[in-house]
Amino acid sequence: MKTFEEKWTAWLDGQLSGKELAEFEASLPDKAAAEAEKRDVKKLGVLLKRELGAGVLCNEDFFSHQLRERVARESIEPPRKQAAEVSTWWTIRRLFLTGTVSLAFFLVFAVFVMREKNPAEQSQYLTQILNARVDPAISPNATISMFEAKEDRVTVLWTEGLQSLPADYAAK
Amino acid sequence: MQTEATPAQADVSELDLVKRCQAGDTEAFDELVTRYRTRVFSMIYNMVRNEQDAWDLAQDSFVKAWKSIKRFQGRSSFYTWIYRIVMNVTIDWLRKKQVKGAGAEFDDAVELKEIDPASRTAPKPDALPFEIIERSEIRARIEKAIAQLSPEHRAVILMKEIEQMQYHEIAETLGCSIGTVMSRLFYARKKLQNLLRDVYENI
Repeated sequence: MKTFEEKWTAWLDGQLSGKELAEFEASLPDKAAAEAEKRDVKKLGVLLKRELGAGVLCNEDFFSHQLRERVARESIEPPRKQAAEVSTWWTIRRLFLTGTVSLAFFLVFAVFVMREKNPAEQSQYLTQILNARVDPAISPNATISMFEAKEDRVTVLWTEGLQSLPADYAAK
Repeated sequence: MQTEATPAQADVSELDLVKRCQAGDTEAFDELVTRYRTRVFSMIYNMVRNEQDAWDLAQDSFVKAWKSIKRFQGRSSFYTWIYRIVMNVTIDWLRKKQVKGAGAEFDDAVELKEIDPASRTAPKPDALPFEIIERSEIRARIEKAIAQLSPEHRAVILMKEIEQMQYHEIAETLGCSIGTVMSRLFYARKKLQNLLRDVYENI
């Protein structure tokens, strides 16, 4: 669906025909004024063509010469550009490699330090074997171990080989 | 559309020249430049109204064409293709200039009430006798009027009226639809009619 502007332009330029032309002309409120404007547009076109159409390029040969120089320069520049790109690429690659190696070193270092600091076999308990002898005569192999959960702040006494508990050990 | 060479010459040897350019032949490119430099310069000059700027922009356009000639696939004529480059370069330049100059140059605010197509609504200025208006004054009036159009409207009116290009060629050159070309042409003409009525009425 053409807008009014499109139809008007097409009509001015003689691009409407057949049914479209008839319909458009029938829709014009003042055909005579429209025809006058059409003549105006033609005159405007003639004026523009006459005044602006004959552009002159002075020093045509110099224009071409200057352009040849520029084109020659542009044609030489790509290898330089390529070299620059390669050099940039090398820098980026070098940076990337340096980064990767550094990261690898860091990871190895971190793993060792963590393993030393936090060995896998280390219990969450702090164990103290007190080797307390309750009564060597009665319970010669009795041992008492004390477990202390570090996070929960709980202490557990584990006794083994205790055959009897002395009376004065009873809880008060 | 007009070309400087005869149509047959232009069609046959132009394609050949383009192929040679695509193979890196700068002499072939030089030949194409010779063929189109005046028209390209003239078109740009009408857009920018400054000889030095037009020269530089024409140079830039041809350099850009040389750099991208390998991408030219021959779907359109070489002239349409290079015109597209010329228009892109020039319109970009005008837009940048407009931004730098705080955008005061263009005035496309044509109100609909001003442009009743079926009546001559514009006030008719006192007509000066055409004979006594110096040619340079007319030229200056036209340039001043064109300067009030946006780059896109300028491009459309110049391609239509000076280059006698068809709607589809203009659309292809500017990368827009035919409807947009026709619409821009409508507003550009209205604006110029209002500004230049006293000049063209005496033709």
